[in-house]
Amino acid sequence: MTARTLILIEHDRREVKRPSLHAITAARQLGGDFALLLLGQGLDEMAGSLVSYGASTVLVADGEALAEPLADRYAAVIAQAAQKLGATTLLANSSTFSKDILPRAAALLDAPMLTDVVAIEEKDGATTYQRPVSAGSMLATVQLAGEKRVLIVRASAFDAPASDSAASPIERLEFDGAVLPNGTQFVSREETVSDRPDLTEARVVIGGGRPLKDKESFDRLVVGLADLLGGAVGATRAAVDTGLAPNDCQIGQTGKVIAPDLYIALGISGAIQHLAGIKDSRVIVAINKDPEAPIFQIATYGLVGDVHQIVPKLIEALRSN
Amino acid sequence: MLSPMNGHTVNEATREVFGNISGWMQIVFFIMIAISLGILAWQVFDHFRQWRQGRPGGFERSPRVWLQRLTVYALAQKRVHKKTLGALLHGALFSGFLVLTIGTTLLSIAYDGPYYFHHGWYYLIYELTMDVFGVVFCLGCLLAMYRRAFVRKASLGHNWRDWWLLGILLALGLTGFAVEALRMHYTQVEPWLARWSTVGWLIDITFLRGIDIESAKTMHLATWWLHTILVAGFFVTIPVNRFLHVITGPLNIAARPERPMGALVPLKMEMVEETGLIGAAQIGDFNQQQLLSLDACMECGRCEDVCPATASGKPLSPKFIVTDLRSVMAHGGELHGVAINPDTLWSCTMCQACVQECPVLIGHVDLISDMRRYLVGEGKLSGPPARSLQQIGNQFNPYGRPNGERLAWAEGLDVPTVESNPNFEYLFWVGCAASFDPRAQKVARATAQLLKKAGVNFAVLGKEETCTGDPARRIGDEFLFQERAQTNVATLDRRQVKKVVTACPHCHNTLQNEYPQFGGNYEVQHHSTLLAELIEAGRLTNDAGSSESGPITLHDPCYLARVNGVVDAPRTVIGAAEDENFREMPRCGKKTFCCGAGGGRMWFDEPPAERVSNLRAQEAVASGAQTLATGCPFCLNMMSAGMADTAGGENVRVMDIAEVLLSRQDSSAAILPDAGNGA
Amino acid sequence: MSSPLAKILVAFKSVPDPYAGGGEAKSVVNPFDEIAIEEALRMRERGEATEIVGVTIGPAAVDEQVRAALAMGVDRAIRIDDARALDPYAVARILRALVEKEAPQLVLMGKQAVDDDSNQAGQMLAGLLGWPQATFISKIELLDGGARARCTRETDTGLEVIELQLPAIVTSDLRLNEPRYVSLPGLMKARKKAIEVLSCEQLGVTVQPLTSVLSTTRPPRRSAGARVESVEELVRKLKEEAKVL
Repeated sequence: MTARTLILIEHDRREVKRPSLHAITAARQLGGDFALLLLGQGLDEMAGSLVSYGASTVLVADGEALAEPLADRYAAVIAQAAQKLGATTLLANSSTFSKDILPRAAALLDAPMLTDVVAIEEKDGATTYQRPVSAGSMLATVQLAGEKRVLIVRASAFDAPASDSAASPIERLEFDGAVLPNGTQFVSREETVSDRPDLTEARVVIGGGRPLKDKESFDRLVVGLADLLGGAVGATRAAVDTGLAPNDCQIGQTGKVIAPDLYIALGISGAIQHLAGIKDSRVIVAINKDPEAPIFQIATYGLVGDVHQIVPKLIEALRSN
Repeated sequence: MLSPMNGHTVNEATREVFGNISGWMQIVFFIMIAISLGILAWQVFDHFRQWRQGRPGGFERSPRVWLQRLTVYALAQKRVHKKTLGALLHGALFSGFLVLTIGTTLLSIAYDGPYYFHHGWYYLIYELTMDVFGVVFCLGCLLAMYRRAFVRKASLGHNWRDWWLLGILLALGLTGFAVEALRMHYTQVEPWLARWSTVGWLIDITFLRGIDIESAKTMHLATWWLHTILVAGFFVTIPVNRFLHVITGPLNIAARPERPMGALVPLKMEMVEETGLIGAAQIGDFNQQQLLSLDACMECGRCEDVCPATASGKPLSPKFIVTDLRSVMAHGGELHGVAINPDTLWSCTMCQACVQECPVLIGHVDLISDMRRYLVGEGKLSGPPARSLQQIGNQFNPYGRPNGERLAWAEGLDVPTVESNPNFEYLFWVGCAASFDPRAQKVARATAQLLKKAGVNFAVLGKEETCTGDPARRIGDEFLFQERAQTNVATLDRRQVKKVVTACPHCHNTLQNEYPQFGGNYEVQHHSTLLAELIEAGRLTNDAGSSESGPITLHDPCYLARVNGVVDAPRTVIGAAEDENFREMPRCGKKTFCCGAGGGRMWFDEPPAERVSNLRAQEAVASGAQTLATGCPFCLNMMSAGMADTAGGENVRVMDIAEVLLSRQDSSAAILPDAGNGA
Repeated sequence: MSSPLAKILVAFKSVPDPYAGGGEAKSVVNPFDEIAIEEALRMRERGEATEIVGVTIGPAAVDEQVRAALAMGVDRAIRIDDARALDPYAVARILRALVEKEAPQLVLMGKQAVDDDSNQAGQMLAGLLGWPQATFISKIELLDGGARARCTRETDTGLEVIELQLPAIVTSDLRLNEPRYVSLPGLMKARKKAIEVLSCEQLGVTVQPLTSVLSTTRPPRRSAGARVESVEELVRKLKEEAKVL
């Protein structure tokens, strides 16, 4: 059993996380065969859902010792799996899970590593990688030395893989729980219910201001548009103050600084405190009824009009697209 | 019947002084008074020793200033006058006590001195005056008691010592009159003479009728002793009650160093390197004048009444800053985190309202500034204000924007720079807010358009301009401020700047009042002053009739009106005098109320319930105005936010006076921003 | 009953001021590392640690940021003199040598540097040392008299609490604390403190970076102020011109 690339698949103990499958597309682009690796406890059903992606094998490291994703244990098992397969590339989708574990595995494998890769290019036999740096304000082109590499790719830059291949074999990866590192104990987990992306990492952010007036309008227009685009929800201080949005949604000088590809500002006039938090956004769309609002000075696209009338139309137009 | 009869001459009019008091009693009397005065002096000396804990000096040295201040603030009590019961009763107590003290002193001079002048017309007028002011004094005591019992102004503070003081003062007055009446009764003063001692005479003829002379003498003796014991008790307890301010108040009034209200005291780097000390870590790090000022406070609460931090529910009261420090001075103990919490110090907007109100000239803001400097030096500042200071250090503006973008506001306006127009008359100091805050940028545009229209020969510094350092100095990073000040003074001097005009009162204040500390002396004007001059010279028109702004009011920025006395100019600019639509808010002019942004508060995050701007917005909405004009980019920002948070505020436009004026020019493109100021 | 940790090592990096918004940016201590320094100082102030040692890697030019760390209150500062553009793995290998020399009970650093946004060095160091790790932490408390640390981690889905056997590596997230402000006199006082300069040879470590940045480009800046007249035009432009949908 061998594979050139080993892909770490993430799950939430019930099902596989869809974005983590996008790494398969990156692996196909890199060429060669690839194996998928699942770690955890009670994984049979999830492993079954991974057999149609064309992997040479679906490796399952299943056991009580791996019930919780503790970096020291997971990295040890991943390194062991890579060595067993003779894999030279270790791959995963970008998340706090992969960022916690893969750099540690890279050190164990003595391999260079790149996080948040958004493009892979082959040119004259050499492979280059593109990744955003400086909070997304710059794009770096990077080269790696040697055969081995560990890559974390952004799901947003690689398509979801086709699920139409002949069934891959499922294999258990044997490991000795007793020799795994034992210095870390899991205590508890508190999950926030929202399945929207984190504000500071989201590719799309929809921000709402005070003119949305009430919670109902905010939820319908701002949250509605965010859910439609798979984006995160942000708000101005004034909107947070009046209870339209929770505290951790606040963008700006005293809130979060964001750098998404697309920021849509709904009913936001553009006070400087707010602008300080959004200036690194790649594309800014502003919808505001005041044509003099400062937000239009920095918006890529400005549309003058009442958010209560325009946003429903926008949601409609995006739905039908 | 106030003239002598029966052949007596006016010249014989006098009275006995110790007539009923035997020799040994007089000796006991003098010993008692001497001991009580000795105890008083010893206690005052103890306070003096407490002041000596401070760094030497800090006192005003000019006798001319002492005299002038004592006349204005101690004698004429300029700061006390107000249309309030407190001011009225203080006037009564003050004048009564002053006259009675002078009278008693004159009497002892007459009795013990080489010349006996206590007779004749002098005596008659003396007696009448003493009686009148005795009544005034007693009425003052009664009014004060009434106020404490029924009005109970919270900021005044109330405890048993106040009742002790008022009680003893009233008892002094009443026993004084009783002694007089009894003395007149047993000496059987002739009616024409008795009437000059009016109160004693009235008591005599009303209450003492039929009492025989011997009984009157005994009663006189008893009352006299009571009066004497009260006097001694009064002297001894002065230092533990509010009366101490009668001694310390005038001392501080004379000693407070003369300095513009808006200038904070510079620190010397050499001193910091030598002592390793920045600001006030302990009570002894204040200077001696500051410690004296703590004892000058009589806790009247006027500072607290006007404090925006207190009004908005923050932990700061200027009065408690003083009394808490005083307690540390007297009893020792830790200052920071124990006597005074950091949150209390960060709450101050440095609006100077407390400083303006204080009748004995205490410098609350200087005290707070010294303690803030210590906190900043110790790394006790974090979060958004810390980021702003870092950005002043790194990008030379608190917004953290590239300084090269300073002229972004001027795009398309063809604004002259010091490069393109080196022979300018006025340097237009734009300021960081108007350079980088999109809302304030419009004010810079309006100002530049007006200056151009009026044909003013001006220029801007462009990217040579950097933050004046005002936020750094107010927050407490003195040396970050000095770094900016020195750089800017060098730039202004290199560009041979004489006159500066700015649309920011904080830049205005720092350039005018603080840069002279670093050798920068310029004639600095707020844009309202220059625009008012241009209107009066007919170079700009201000036809209030053309106003489409509806009812309009003016929010005076603290650092323009209170701190730098510019009150009329902004009103001229918006044509307040001719405009029947102009509404004045209750707190206006030098008595304006802060927007909440001063003292570096612009850079702090605060919960909505504690925002000063909301209180001010409510006041503006209540005035019925639909436009709120102001003359400060921070007020503009804060009041816009305040309006957005206030019922009825969403329909009020917040504008700079320059924007109002520009909208009234003949051929200008109106730039009224839409109502609705939500961020 | 607790005895303070004898030594906390805080690793920090000098980065261009992330708030500068382009142009002539001064260098500052990486904000996430500043948070790590702050946490170490607070642990010392709580009596949970005795000595805080700061370490960075770079040429003499980064001494200004070393002084900033000293001014914040770090007891001792070490600069490992290396002017090369190092990748996180090289940094981790150098830091391993220093950790072996200094033997701290805890290593704190930021979750990532805001210039290259790699988010690797702490985890790699933990892997090389075989120490427990906690990344993206928003809270840390010592247990059992300093034998273990309980950390709250910020993950994509919420919060996770884990306990580490010390010695361990911990990387800080944004909400761990708000670093203290360092004023100018504080910086000037720090100028008088010595900076210990070490070379990789002295540490007995040879590293060769395995990643190399060929170029960095600024993504096309948005054209400011373009107005669109309708929802249809907006959607079309977002699809065809901006390509963000």
